[in-house]
Amino acid sequence: MGEEKRLNKKKNILLCVISIIILCVLLFPLFWIFVTSLKTEQEIFRIPPTFYPHKLNLGSYAAQIETGDFNMFRAFGNSFIISIGAMLIAVVLAVPASYAIAKYRFVGRKTMLLGFLVTQMLPVSVLLTPMFIMFKGMNVYNTWISAILADATLGIPFSVLILKNYFASIPKELEEAAYIDGCGRFKAFIKVLIPVAKPGIIVCAIFSFLYSWGDLAYGMTFILDQKKRPITAGIFNFMGQYGTTWSYLTAFAIVTIIPVALIFIFMQKYIIAGMTSGAVKG
Amino acid sequence: MKTIKRFFKHENVGILFALPAFVYMLIVVGYPIISNIVLSVQDVTVRNLARGTKNFVGLNNYIVLFRDEVFRLTISNTLKFTVYSLLFQFIIGFALAVFFNKNFSFAKPIRGLLMIPWMIPMTVTALIFKFIFSTDVGIINYLLHSLGIISENIEWLTNPNIALGCVIFANVWIGIPFNTILLSTGLTTISQELYESAAIDGANGFQRFIKITLPLLRPTIESVLVLGFIYTFKCYDLIYVMTSGGPVNSTHLMSTYSYKLSFEMFDYSMGSAAANVLLVILLVVGMVYLKITMEGEND
Repeated sequence: MGEEKRLNKKKNILLCVISIIILCVLLFPLFWIFVTSLKTEQEIFRIPPTFYPHKLNLGSYAAQIETGDFNMFRAFGNSFIISIGAMLIAVVLAVPASYAIAKYRFVGRKTMLLGFLVTQMLPVSVLLTPMFIMFKGMNVYNTWISAILADATLGIPFSVLILKNYFASIPKELEEAAYIDGCGRFKAFIKVLIPVAKPGIIVCAIFSFLYSWGDLAYGMTFILDQKKRPITAGIFNFMGQYGTTWSYLTAFAIVTIIPVALIFIFMQKYIIAGMTSGAVKG
Repeated sequence: MKTIKRFFKHENVGILFALPAFVYMLIVVGYPIISNIVLSVQDVTVRNLARGTKNFVGLNNYIVLFRDEVFRLTISNTLKFTVYSLLFQFIIGFALAVFFNKNFSFAKPIRGLLMIPWMIPMTVTALIFKFIFSTDVGIINYLLHSLGIISENIEWLTNPNIALGCVIFANVWIGIPFNTILLSTGLTTISQELYESAAIDGANGFQRFIKITLPLLRPTIESVLVLGFIYTFKCYDLIYVMTSGGPVNSTHLMSTYSYKLSFEMFDYSMGSAAANVLLVILLVVGMVYLKITMEGEND
């Protein structure tokens, strides 16, 4: 702020060093559980603590595959199915809805928009009990479907609000050119507008996935069968059962973070785009 | 048939595109909201849920709720949790936004990496901080020990006087990236020339911050705080995993207490009533958010 465009060399180095210190402090908790997940249980309790595993122990990860009781890789698979399902519903429904809200002034448009905004503010506890009773009535209680249906409601309003802006920024001429070429409204939407809005759609897909991946309340409340539960619910159970076996718990946490880390590494620009849109959950 | 066709001819064709998403939300979210209100004026517990006998009890659940000392405690806990979380994550987030707005080589990549805590599932964050704050193996106790600040390990999460502070600490960690990135974006929209001409007029850094940055950033600050309020006020997973509301209810928020009433004590109607109180507060504050977002949608 107020600084000249280019900093001199000394100041540049100083700021770079400070920024690395900030990074280390803020991301220390993540480094710490990663290191802990590679230690033996005895080493975790050693004082002073070791800042890297003196004896590398991959047993905490391997134990999960061997004992069927709390198989975190199965829970990982469950989470994956649930998150992909919820993501697909959210994207398929939100793309046309946001296009309509951006491009057409139809009856009830504002009410719909208001509705999507309000659903973003709902506390999960308002929905849990009625959803629980509803899913029991629909016979989807204790299946992946219940969590998929509920998790999709996290992604839809976010996606509608983000994509509305993407579609609004597409010039009208593009659509009109498609009409002149003989496309109908639906064809123009699919052939012309969707490809142009692709970056926005990717942002929505990523965030819908992340919201579902991070969900605990729905997965835990609607799915009781240990074999079908998502990984977040698995961790919670595991904490209840094994309390302070930190080597196992931190390994569990690291496995849960893997997809998040991969998304971050390969799709960082979409994450930043989504977060700066102002529609994101804080 | 003709009338229907004409209705959907021009702008109203949009309804066809928007309807699937809207109907989905109406069924999966709208219906539960209504049935939650109905539930809160009935007496539905696990004992009579199966039988289907639902007695109408009017506002009785709400009266019982407000007489419940624990519920009143959860209101004050929720307020404290929200205000302190917002305060710290905003101040730290703002400081980082200003810092990373400077034009040094690592600014962009490191600011990007700082977003990671926001993306991590809350359950995992809760586990991380439970570990860090744990009495015997916690790194915080070790650090304070080795710096000579404490002589005996502090029971962070099992002492009712400080447990709420610990969950606030964890929540601030989650919230910093969100504040940093939004405020950063806001800062980049302020023209550098403004600062330059103010500097020529003799304004120092602090004056420039007060007179230029803050007023021009006001819309961003408003939306950061309102969104932050909404998502902090209804926070659930973090508390539930880290402390489950304990010790002696000292970290119970309205959201976790409502869950406890419904799914641990199986008093569905009381849980619904508690959730509705939470919802009303959120909607009142959310009006500001709605106003900000709906502006420019007036055509």
